[in-house]
Amino acid sequence: MVNVTDHELVPDHELLDDPEAVEEVLAEYNVSKTDLPRIKRTDPALPDEAEPGDVVKIVRESRTTDQAIVYRLVIS
Amino acid sequence: MTETDAYDHVTDDIAALIEDTELSRRLKERVYETIEEKADEHGGITTEQAADIITGVENRYLETRIEPLDPVGTVSAQSIGEPGTQMTMNTFHYAGVAEIDVTQGLPRLIELVDARKTPDTPMMTVHLEGEYATDREKAHEVVWSIESTRILALGDVSTNVADMLVRIDLNDETLLERWPTHSDPTEVAGIISETIEDALGVDTRQAGTVIEFGPNQPSYRELLQLVEQLRDVVFKGIEEVERVVIRKEQLEDGEEFVLYTEGSAFGDVLSIEGVDDTRTTCNNIHEIYRNLGVEAAREAIIDETMNTLEEQGLDDVNIRHLMLVADIMTNNGEIESIGRHGISGSKDSVLARAAFEVTVNHLLDAAVHGEYDELDGVIENVIAGKPVSIGTGDVDLRMGSRASGSGPADD
Repeated sequence: MVNVTDHELVPDHELLDDPEAVEEVLAEYNVSKTDLPRIKRTDPALPDEAEPGDVVKIVRESRTTDQAIVYRLVIS
Repeated sequence: MTETDAYDHVTDDIAALIEDTELSRRLKERVYETIEEKADEHGGITTEQAADIITGVENRYLETRIEPLDPVGTVSAQSIGEPGTQMTMNTFHYAGVAEIDVTQGLPRLIELVDARKTPDTPMMTVHLEGEYATDREKAHEVVWSIESTRILALGDVSTNVADMLVRIDLNDETLLERWPTHSDPTEVAGIISETIEDALGVDTRQAGTVIEFGPNQPSYRELLQLVEQLRDVVFKGIEEVERVVIRKEQLEDGEEFVLYTEGSAFGDVLSIEGVDDTRTTCNNIHEIYRNLGVEAAREAIIDETMNTLEEQGLDDVNIRHLMLVADIMTNNGEIESIGRHGISGSKDSVLARAAFEVTVNHLLDAAVHGEYDELDGVIENVIAGKPVSIGTGDVDLRMGSRASGSGPADD
């Protein structure tokens, strides 16, 4: 079985399982959960334990800076 | 301030100046390095000289930041659209990498932002791992498990109308070349005749490397049909991949073989033995999306659009514009096209949608459903002749009769 997370096009996806961490992110950007970009529950790069409503933290190797951190809301 | 210890010429004063700027961590590091380097070159640096460098960098940084209410989308659209007018309109096919035709220029760019289900010329770049990448024989093994092998590549097909038989004379050398794990051509011929039986539903007779079969009911038409069907049967490899080109490429440390394919089946290829599943890519963003997810698709859209522009000598388009396009296209968790069926068609405002394409349909539907327009977007306000909510148009000034609190405002 191919492990997609090893592919160089796939950045690190990390599940924010601590509700406080999610709140912190939302407060930092002054947005609500539904304003975040989305990611499908069926997305192959998503950690297995992610459920709809969770927030994943994605650390991209950025083209304009070293690393760019973005967040996506898991949807069904 | 432990990091300043690493630099001989950076004094605490200089370090304090750098840390006081609004620069990002990475830029601060580069300022440290530059000051250190220059000081080495010229044998020292004064705090004033360092301060000049630091303010220079900070000013440039602040200048390039986007201001609030800047219409970034419109700027991106113009920045991609203008070079787009200089692109070749009709080089639909042009010899790209390794003699494989790839759609380029404007048609390719349109294909990408339209998010077509399949590109005009699908292709894959297959990287190999371990000894498959360095040994030509091994690399060919992978080629044969990717490239689709049909009957005409394996031998001669003849029809015997008198006996109602199709006869295939297989070529021993080709068989052994394409099935490198077998040493007996007859064995391979056995595999082939089994494939024919399964695919065409006929009984075959095999003698050595000669295979004969005929239609179940003797009929001239059926015989011809069998031959037609036989040509389409794939005996080895992936049906979608018509051709594979193998190329030796220079790396920093040595050489490796890289395969370029005409046609793509990304998911299938990733699981083939010998294929490096961390570097192999394809030019179909939907296949990337299905196999690697939205984030990978976003990366692929940026790479593909940038490459398309670069190949036309338009590489001075800032990558941020393309990143914005890719962000918007993948915002929903799946790939959406820019245009009537995608982003522009899913806007909330009726007037914004009607202004884009098929005006009457949108207005009619809106009337039927009793839609309501908040008039808070740009296009709606242009239509209504009111200030738009970007730039200075979104700033309201209010003058009060009372003096506001003591002292000046923050900014």
